[in-house]
Amino acid sequence: MNKIIQIVIPPVFWLGVWQIAAWCVDRALFLPGPVSVGRSLIALAQTADFYLSAGATLGRVFWGLAWGTAAGAALAFLTHFSPWANLIFSPAVRMVRAIPVVSFILLVYLWVARSAVPWVIAGLMVLPVVWGTLGAGLDSIDKKLLELGRAYRFSRWKMLRLIYLPALRPHFSAGLLTAFGLAWKSGVAAEVLCPPAHAIGTRLQQAKLGLETANLFAWTLTIVALSLVLEGLLRKALERGNRT
Amino acid sequence: MIKLQNLTLRYGNKLVLDRFSLEIPAHGLTALSGPSGCGKTTLLRVMAGLETPEAGTVDGLSPARTAFLFQEDRLLPWRTVDQHITDVLPRQRRGELADWLAFAELSGEGDAYPTALSGGMARRLALARCAALGGDLLLLDEPFAGVDPERTARIMARLRDLGVPVVLTSHQAPVLAECDCVIGLDGPPLN
Repeated sequence: MNKIIQIVIPPVFWLGVWQIAAWCVDRALFLPGPVSVGRSLIALAQTADFYLSAGATLGRVFWGLAWGTAAGAALAFLTHFSPWANLIFSPAVRMVRAIPVVSFILLVYLWVARSAVPWVIAGLMVLPVVWGTLGAGLDSIDKKLLELGRAYRFSRWKMLRLIYLPALRPHFSAGLLTAFGLAWKSGVAAEVLCPPAHAIGTRLQQAKLGLETANLFAWTLTIVALSLVLEGLLRKALERGNRT
Repeated sequence: MIKLQNLTLRYGNKLVLDRFSLEIPAHGLTALSGPSGCGKTTLLRVMAGLETPEAGTVDGLSPARTAFLFQEDRLLPWRTVDQHITDVLPRQRRGELADWLAFAELSGEGDAYPTALSGGMARRLALARCAALGGDLLLLDEPFAGVDPERTARIMARLRDLGVPVVLTSHQAPVLAECDCVIGLDGPPLN
């Protein structure tokens, strides 16, 4: 099948379904059509607040992704190499993984400033994912290569650089891509429940309270577009890293 | 002389070395020969300090100054041929890279990754890496498995020219014929 057709047909089909559904419902308050949502999106994109909110949300999500990844990676190494650390930290990380994100948002809201809640939550969602995938990667490293490193008197740094890090790269890439999606969703959810001054989540909440359904859809489309574009960029960067 | 005295070692319930003693010349090329599974690899691993016997002593060598070639190539899939050699060379010996590639007849393959190498080439790279690591003694487990006879003869001559004592295991008659001393083993357990 022609590649252009493959790219064009699905969105055209679903936009058509959306438009037909909007005509059937016939109430823009419940389901605005794609044309009115498009108009809202264009209007929003002409305001400075749109970029300020999107930029602030991006910053929080990436900060959460960064600290969650760093902490998850550090804990993965710690729990892999230290039985005591494994005994203490593994149940705690599993518990963090099991707690619903909404419970966490409400709890964290009690402990930190409102503007910090989204990045704290994003990091808390990322940490167990990175810990889990890197932990599984560490468990699966070929023991014969580790024995080779010891027999050939590799220093700790050399073991890390020549054996551990290259072997963990595919696990890290898979974990980071999953974690990115989680950070994005949980970060925006936290912004909705604990709205900071500038945030996509805050604008979503305002649109909902003001019954501006077209704006609600426009902000949601913005979230989806940013998520897809950034995930694509991240995937490309990781693929390039895996090739080198 | 390398003296192995009263070595006892078992894997689980299987006794592999049973108060086994042996003296191995600490010069030239020495081969350990015997049927598969008789304990040759275990003996080399004990000498390399990779296995700790339940009882017995090993005198006349320092495991920290031996280089061990594993029975499997154990190449790193993400490192090139060149990098496999330079990874074991200290900074001041990096200039020896071309010599070690020539030693294993791998000149011109420096940029290749292990997946692009034939079985014989991979074996020669593993051997070159082990020899480049160096030490007072080379312990080589089946160093010429999969290597053609002509190359084997040439590389064995180079191995001898290194002037480092070598203890190897092999089933190949031409390899055994080139060695200064061949020790026949029968087991398990070796006793």
